[in-house]
Parts: sequence; C-alpha cells; structure tokens
Amino acid sequence: MPETYENGTEIEVKNLNLWYGDNHALHDISIDIPKNSVTAFIGPSGCGKSTFLRCLNRMNDLIPSCRIEGHVNVSGEDIYSRETDVVDLRKKVGMVFQKPNPFPMSIFDNISYGPKIHGMSKKEMPSIVENALKSGALWEEIADRLDASALDLSGGQQQRLCIARTLAVKPEVILFDEPCSALDPISTSKIEDLILELKKDYTIVIVTHNMQQAARISDYTAFFLLGDLIEFGKTNQIFENPQKKETEDYITGRFG
Amino acid sequence: MLNRNIKEKGIESLLFAAGATAVIALFLLCIFLFREGALLFENYPVSSFLTDTKWLPTATKPQYGLLPLLLGSFVVTVGSILFSVPLGIASAIYISEIADPKIANVLKPVTEILAGIPSVVYGFFGLVILVPIVQKTLSLPTGQTALTGSIMLGIMALPTIISISEDAISSVPRSIKEGSLALGSTEWQTIYKVTVPAALSGISAAVMLGIGRAIGETMTVMMVSGNSAIIPGFPSGLFESVRTMTATIALEMGEVPQGSDHFHALFAIGSVLFITTFIINIIANYIKRRYRFSL
Repeated sequence: MPETYENGTEIEVKNLNLWYGDNHALHDISIDIPKNSVTAFIGPSGCGKSTFLRCLNRMNDLIPSCRIEGHVNVSGEDIYSRETDVVDLRKKVGMVFQKPNPFPMSIFDNISYGPKIHGMSKKEMPSIVENALKSGALWEEIADRLDASALDLSGGQQQRLCIARTLAVKPEVILFDEPCSALDPISTSKIEDLILELKKDYTIVIVTHNMQQAARISDYTAFFLLGDLIEFGKTNQIFENPQKKETEDYITGRFG
Repeated sequence: MLNRNIKEKGIESLLFAAGATAVIALFLLCIFLFREGALLFENYPVSSFLTDTKWLPTATKPQYGLLPLLLGSFVVTVGSILFSVPLGIASAIYISEIADPKIANVLKPVTEILAGIPSVVYGFFGLVILVPIVQKTLSLPTGQTALTGSIMLGIMALPTIISISEDAISSVPRSIKEGSLALGSTEWQTIYKVTVPAALSGISAAVMLGIGRAIGETMTVMMVSGNSAIIPGFPSGLFESVRTMTATIALEMGEVPQGSDHFHALFAIGSVLFITTFIINIIANYIKRRYRFSL
C-alpha cells in the first residue's frame, strides 16, 4: 500500500468489517484513498466492491440487516461515530449510481433539488444550475430546454445530469458505482473524460466491472475478491506488475 | 384442418361476445336512464328542474328542484374528501415508506378488509355510535347531519384511497429515493419532495375513485344524514340534515307510480348522478396527463 500521497489522504479506512445478517461480506478492509485522484475498485461480481463503496457515504444504513464495525475517516472525521450527521456526510460525499436515476422533474429542478434542501436561496439557483451543468459537460446540449423533463434525455445525458446534480451540492468526494454499465461506448467515453476533468477538484472513487476503464482513468486501483481487499496500489503497478497471484489471475482474465 | 379453424373462430366469437356484454349493458343502461329521465321534461321544464330550490314531489303542485339534492350530495362529498384524502394519503405514506415491513404486512390487508364491509353495516354503526356522539359533542338538535354522513363516507372511501395511493407510492423506484438520500436529503424530504410527487398521478387517481365512491354511496348516507331536502347553507350546512341524490332515489323509488312525473324525476336525478361520475372520470384522466413528470 502506498504510504503517502502527493495530494494527501482523503479517506482512511481501518479494519472495516461488514455483515448482512450472518453473512460476513467484507473482511477487515483497510485502505487509504488519496485526495484529488481517481481510485478504482475492481473485482468479480459479488466481491464486495459496491458494498464497500456504499460504506463510504453510509448508504448501507438503508439496509436493516447490515452491521458495520471498524473506522472510516473522511477528511479526518470518523463517519461512523455517534456525532456524525448522515445528511452532512452525504452532502460531502456524493454518489452516482449504476443506472441513471434522474428525478421525474424538469432538468432545472433535478439540479436545484440538492442546493434547495441545503438551504441555498432561490435567487442563486439559475447560476448554480448553469455551473453544475457546465461542470457536468451537459450545458451545451440542453441549455435551451431546462424546463424539459429529465426523463426525456438519453441514457448518457441522464447520467451526466446525475453527475451535475451531485456537483451542485459541492461535495469533496464523488463515489461512482459502475456509472457506465448501462451506457453505450460513446456515452461511456464522455463520462470517462468528465471524470478525468473532475479529479482536479474532487476525490473520485469508482467501482467498475471494466478493467480497461480502470486502466484508462484511475490513478490507483484496489482489487477485491470474495470480501477481501487483495491488493491496492498505483494503477500501472497493479496492471503491469501485480504482487499477488489472485490479482494477476484476474487481470490476465483467468477468472472473473 | 378446416374443423380446427371453425373451432378457433367459434372461440374467438364467444370471447368477443363476452367482452361486448359490458359495453352493450352500459349502452342500454344509458339509453334507458336518459330516456326515462327526459320524459319528465314533457310536463316539467328543464329550467325549473335545474333552478327550483325545492324538492316537493308529493305537494298538490309538485316541485322537482334538483338543487337541494345536488348540493346535499356536494356538501357530504366535499366533507368526506376533506377528511379522507389527507388521512388516506398519510396512511399510504406510512404503510409504504415508514412502517416496519412486518407492520405494513398487517396494515395493508386490514385496510382492504375495510372495503369489504357492507354499506348497511357502516350505516348501522354510524346511526348507533356516531350520530349520538355528533349530537352530544356539538349540542345539535339532531346528530343526523351532513357532517355525520361525511365522516362515514370518508371512512368508506379510505380503503380505496389508501390502497391505490400505497400502490402508486411503493412503485416509485428505489433508485430514485436513493438518489435523493445520496444528495443529503432526509427521509422526510425524500418522501415529500421526490417520492410523493413521482406518485402523484396514481394518488390523484386514488382520490378521484374515492370521490366516486362517496358520491355514489347510498345506504350509509341515507341512514346517517337525516334526509331533509333543504338547500344546505355554507358552512352551517355541515351541521344540518341533508339529503343526497342517491338517498332520494332509494327512498322514493319504491313508492312512486310507474310512469308518473315523480318517477321520471327520479330518473332525471339518476342521469345527473351518472353525468357527474362521468365528469369525475374525465377530470381524473386529465390530471393524470397534466403531471407529465410523473412516472
């Protein structure tokens, strides 16, 4: 594991264990995620990478049978401590989901939803929406129809809208849960370009099934297998010179 | 081969006939209702039927004024909606979004059983329990008031409103709710800003069906709301006896000579009822289309 990062550490996880009922799904995960970089989680289906991602903004709280032990610090604060306000945490750690999930409202309302619930004034909304859509690389395509239903956009546009929606609440970290798995190659490459652009200002963690995608866009890669973090390191090291046999087998396509 | 074709065709025609029965029945019913109703207007002008303020079918000079009955139905229905819609939607939200699944699994079927209780039983309950309570707590001369009818109709409309709203709310995809929570909104913000608006077309359909149920209900309202055919005041009418269109038909149909003006007048009221429910359905469809952002 890399000891120090150029831009510092954003998320520190120590000895995290997670159970779904009696099923011990994550085993003693410890990892430091660097600031202003892209960290990819790879591994076969069911390896726990998405479950782990959801620990980082406490989305697993929604699952009643889920129990978590260990420590997760986001910019120095223990997010599983009693004092943590989940609302503040999720404002700081945004999430983009596997399937685009725009709200059934207008494009404008989709973006302004987050800022509004966090108490931004109505007057500021048009500029917030414009900036978010510009950062989400969507502004030029839809600037003239902000009142249209978000559901009328294409899948790729919907996903960029969801990214813009997340940016509008000014997070520090953005978690991507297989954001391109429902998209065509052109939309995928647009989103990848966007992620590379976003890492200048945000810490990005992305779960992906697609190893080429991890190789293309990430700075660091973590390989998960059956609830264990097998190996974590610089992306080119993981892909070119894996230290563990399981990693090598997976990268070279022997399973998964 | 030929034999088989004949058989196929035969079954097709049988099924078509079965499907057509409902349409034909509706069509015949409409013709009958409107024709019998229209016969009133040979002896009694339409304008008087619509504007007369009195319903006195057995007076020496009978008057068939629709207004007291129409407004009676209106007051009772509006009252029941004011009571049942907020309560119904709140229950639906509780069952689908907040309640522990174990509790929800009990609540929902129990709510639906409420819909299966015969209306005469509701009426009996209202007459024996609710009427005295209303009379005592509000110190009214009689407990058989529009308010009593509204409460009973509201209770009867609840299962429809709860059940259909609950279906609409729980069919909002989980992914949308997660999207809202991931932006840092609370459970409640998610419910009232995302989930409920997304289910709005289903919820308004539920409300419309609830209204339809309330307007068409006869037995209960006849038993608890006093049946005096006087134009209800506003809002004092809520605490007075009223008579609805449905109750009038049920009360008087047994005693009128067939073919008399009075007989035709009751059919005219039936036609008005029919048209009213028809309009409500059209409104329901319109509302469904208006919420274009709904799922």
